[in-house]
Amino acid sequence: MAVHEAQAYKDDGTPEEQSRRTFLANATLAVGGVIGLVLTVPLVVSLIPESLLSPDKSAGGSWADLPKDALKQIAAKPGTPVNIQFSFQYADGYFPPATDGQSVWGVKLSPEQVTNFKAKRPDLFGNPADEVKYPALDATLGFVLFSPICPHLGCRFAWNAEADRFICPCHGSQFGLEGDKLAGPAPRGLDPLPFRDKDGQAQVTWIQYKSGEPDRVIVAYS
Amino acid sequence: MSVLTWIEQRTGLVSQTTDFLTEDVPGGASYWYVFGSATIFAMILQIITGIFLTFYYAPSTASAWESTSYIYHNVPFGQFVISLHFWGATAMIALLLMHLLQVLLWGAYKAPREIMWVIGVLLLVITLVLGLTGYLLPWDMNAYFASQVAINIASSVPIVGNATQQFLSGGPGIGTLTINRFYGLHVWLMPAALVLLTVGHLTIFRHNGSAGPPVDHDLKRLPQGRFWPNQMFMDAAASFAVFAIIVLLAIFSPAPFDVKADPTKQFIAYPAWYFLALYGLLRVAGQTPQAIQPIANLLATVVIPGAFVTLLILLPFIDRNPSRQLSRRPWILGLTALSLVFAIGLTLYSQLAVQKEQAEASEGGAPAAAAAASNTLGGKTSAGASSTVGTGGGGSQVATTGGTGTGKGEQIFTQNCASCHQANGQGQPGVFPNLAGNKDVVASDPKGIIHTLNYGLAGKVIDGKTYAAQMPAWKGNLSNDDIAAVITYIRSSWGNKASAVTTAQVAASTK
Repeated sequence: MAVHEAQAYKDDGTPEEQSRRTFLANATLAVGGVIGLVLTVPLVVSLIPESLLSPDKSAGGSWADLPKDALKQIAAKPGTPVNIQFSFQYADGYFPPATDGQSVWGVKLSPEQVTNFKAKRPDLFGNPADEVKYPALDATLGFVLFSPICPHLGCRFAWNAEADRFICPCHGSQFGLEGDKLAGPAPRGLDPLPFRDKDGQAQVTWIQYKSGEPDRVIVAYS
Repeated sequence: MSVLTWIEQRTGLVSQTTDFLTEDVPGGASYWYVFGSATIFAMILQIITGIFLTFYYAPSTASAWESTSYIYHNVPFGQFVISLHFWGATAMIALLLMHLLQVLLWGAYKAPREIMWVIGVLLLVITLVLGLTGYLLPWDMNAYFASQVAINIASSVPIVGNATQQFLSGGPGIGTLTINRFYGLHVWLMPAALVLLTVGHLTIFRHNGSAGPPVDHDLKRLPQGRFWPNQMFMDAAASFAVFAIIVLLAIFSPAPFDVKADPTKQFIAYPAWYFLALYGLLRVAGQTPQAIQPIANLLATVVIPGAFVTLLILLPFIDRNPSRQLSRRPWILGLTALSLVFAIGLTLYSQLAVQKEQAEASEGGAPAAAAAASNTLGGKTSAGASSTVGTGGGGSQVATTGGTGTGKGEQIFTQNCASCHQANGQGQPGVFPNLAGNKDVVASDPKGIIHTLNYGLAGKVIDGKTYAAQMPAWKGNLSNDDIAAVITYIRSSWGNKASAVTTAQVAASTK
């Protein structure tokens, strides 16, 4: 409608006027491009999460205290995993650090079971460097702590005393006392958590591993 | 077959765009016509930056300030984006007012553009509501107290006031429900209305064509200019100038951000500049004799602003003078000039009054904690906010408790430090260091912590972590005695068990 009503467009004018219009059209598009660029860069960068910009910030994690009697509880039942509840400080986004609850499976191993453990878990003890990477087993104390999260797809498994093994309710993965995979779809054995005895106080570092992969990939520490 | 032809055949978008851009500009393209398009540019900028802010902002009393602080201190370019939004709001309202003034002076609201004008006034009202609701969202001291004033004004309306106030706040007082309501208004309802009405405004603009210069003869007899590319280039140039100014302001004068809203603290709220005139009206009403004050308040808060907006909306129907020439419209010109004088006068009056009050308050020491803490956040106090720290108020409060050294230290901590380091000393990760168990705080030799209190700290790695905020210097703002008391307090609280610090030790510390 406007096309045929618009007077100004009926005559294309002199070549000078035409080339001036071409310049104005290009200049208008260029100005738009500059504004778009100046805006796009900071806006897109603002979406990059802190964890991608400085992935090492939380690396290594921190130590959380287990309950005072945790070691006693585990030691009281040699050969039977004990579920230990504990709490730790966890910072979620912009919220101030808050107390978050978690649990781990603690197992007391006899010297003989320690030998078994090393034999059954080549994924943890395959080469000496890995021992540093997964300081799950304190050889002198004979304790090991497992993350309660199934390495298959992240369900919570539990110790089944009758079957004498860990069984995950979601997809039926089964693991032995040493965390070695016995059956089911899980791609790897149970994930150990770093653990230490600090002047009589048992401490653990909570680590979230990526599920569904044969290799142990750390997703987050706290 | 080119891509454009392919698209055109299936959508008609190419010819519709061409059609939209092919438009006569009576009398030729002019920089006088850029205000409307520059306003639309500012609106688009607000929508885009606003969308990106919602990726982080969370509306609730527990998260509004925290998430805004996160945007400021942790999000890359976060402070830049929030400052673009802050200055974009100012630009949008300034451009809208200029656009309105020009349409008013050029008589462009007259037939057949009455409905376009009415929609334009509604767009102004919506934009002001956006400014008002956006002011609350950061949930800092000024956000809280300025919104408190705005909501109380709504409650002063006779009969429906209480219901209106509760409807706005979502409850009897300002709280988490209020943030949610303002968020819904600011982020969904008002922007949607703004965009829809803008589309209507533009559709009518295309229907009637450009209003052209303020002349009374037939516009068709004027030489016609082209909208694309001649007028569009000028529009783009103006938008670019606006954008450049906003970017420079965002870089060199970032949006102010104060400590978290604390209703127990005294604070002198100041409105955004575009509400200063209304605020001035309220102040004038407050100075009338007691007997007529309720009526004066009602006039200032509801009747006069309401009448003004109603008059604006009805203007094309009241002003039946068909002439657009300035020389033939003395009444409208006179009224416009009068309104401008009043608006600017009231704005200046309340700006000066707020500045004076804030200066007096900081001498008296009452809002010292707020002012001091706003300095802590990288010194980003707004132009009007006071930035000195009073000691008088703090001192007198300590005297009334008359407690032991630790009691006094706790008082000083609560007033000056807790807004950042929190009452439990935990601070905020990445922004304010945790004081509980902090090696620098509990060091057996207190020289380090004394120095930090006296002379401030910035950019230091504490316990392997860096912190975004600066520790302000307290020497001169707190007495040596007070600094000793507060250090003693933090060295003996939250599980910290380090020795007390004496006034002499503080005095001995040198830069």
